[in-house]
Amino acid sequence: MTDKNTTDFGFEQVSVDEKAGRVADVFHSVAAKYDIMNDLMSAGVHRIWKRFTIELSGVRKGDKVLDIAGGTGDLSYKFSRLVGSEGLVVLADINDSMLKVGRDRLLDRGVAGNLVVSQADAQFLPFEDNSFDCITIAFGLRNVTDKALALRSMLRVLKPGGRLLVLEFSKPQHSLLEKVYDAYSFKILPFIGKVITDDSDSYRYLAESIRMHPDQETLKNMMTDAGFAETKFYNMTGGIVALHKGIKP
Amino acid sequence: MSADPDFTLNIDPTLSTAALAGLEASMNAALRYDPGTRAALKDLQGQILAIESTAPALTVYLEIVDDDDRALRFFADPEGNCSPTTHICGSLSSLAALMFKDTSTLANSGVQVMGSTALLSELQILAKGLDLDWEDALNQITGDVLGHQLAEKMRNFAHWGRDRVQTGERLISEYLTEELKSIPALPELQTFYSQVDDTRMRVDRLEQKIQKILARKQKQ
Repeated sequence: MTDKNTTDFGFEQVSVDEKAGRVADVFHSVAAKYDIMNDLMSAGVHRIWKRFTIELSGVRKGDKVLDIAGGTGDLSYKFSRLVGSEGLVVLADINDSMLKVGRDRLLDRGVAGNLVVSQADAQFLPFEDNSFDCITIAFGLRNVTDKALALRSMLRVLKPGGRLLVLEFSKPQHSLLEKVYDAYSFKILPFIGKVITDDSDSYRYLAESIRMHPDQETLKNMMTDAGFAETKFYNMTGGIVALHKGIKP
Repeated sequence: MSADPDFTLNIDPTLSTAALAGLEASMNAALRYDPGTRAALKDLQGQILAIESTAPALTVYLEIVDDDDRALRFFADPEGNCSPTTHICGSLSSLAALMFKDTSTLANSGVQVMGSTALLSELQILAKGLDLDWEDALNQITGDVLGHQLAEKMRNFAHWGRDRVQTGERLISEYLTEELKSIPALPELQTFYSQVDDTRMRVDRLEQKIQKILARKQKQ
């Protein structure tokens, strides 16, 4: 956030009240083809990033897991199998279009009994204190208006000893990779978006929002400031994506 | 790579995770064509084998699971939270030798084992008894009729190849021993070794007799 009443929406400055609506419009627009676009944009590598997130989550049978900004339910599907019938997975997203796609997809894949779907704002999570063993937010934090508020909300609903995993685009660690990545993000990505979803603006927002998102060290410090302990991060694909982890003390 | 100094993986997690995902997918796909081995793996469910290569430094964990679509799970555990049932450690070449060679002992293999050795021996037995129904896998792609014909041709070709290799080995052996006389034949070699052993034992006996005579003389 830049000042009290405005925040970034990509490279634009918009009022705080306006951002959530603008982000919602982006995801209403791309929800139906979100998975196809993810596979196309990342050449399937987003599945590898998510697999590493699951490996690091340490989720076991009987755990309660909150998958914030869970979208189409990639992580929730894997978690539902890990926690078993005695555990619980909550697939949460602020956007009802994404949530509907995720819910239908999980039902089609036979996930039932240990999964609930919740339309929830990451800044004001509607759950009791100390409820979850693990919280994940994959490619969602950069769209949240007040990230610090969201991190504090996640800390509140985590059990002591519980893990928060933030999977998010970040800053490439090599200058050459950064140049290639910039060219790809600002030239090719909106073009793919235009061809597949007839919406290049949403994918231009995606590229811009990534650049405005805090880098690895900044996000790590934000997590520490929010109250998380043992905060650390793992760079993946040269830093294009980073997985941050923190423990509730 | 990471802010954590204890992070032991030296390669980008994307690469290691992708490699393990590929390995897991191919192993589980293969096991679908050997229901016997897959059923036997169920008895080992929940057990974890840690495979640590010292050169290059990399540790991979193999967990026996019983999901709908997989019997084996591979993962890296970069934070070292996993407690394996069995931990084997050695250079990549010695670990590979353990996997591919028909060895019944780990002595002089360069591989160290920590924890239960039962899991390791169970896995070795299962690996040796692996019997993939590759004709069934082929039939999934080509259909039963064409698949069976292709499988018959491949079997014949493999049989022919095995015969040629065995004949080639015999002919080369005969040429070197009988025609060129450059190396001794195996029976000659075995006779020679036996004679060497016999001579060594006779010398040992003679030495003992001499020692005994010398000791008796010293007493007198």
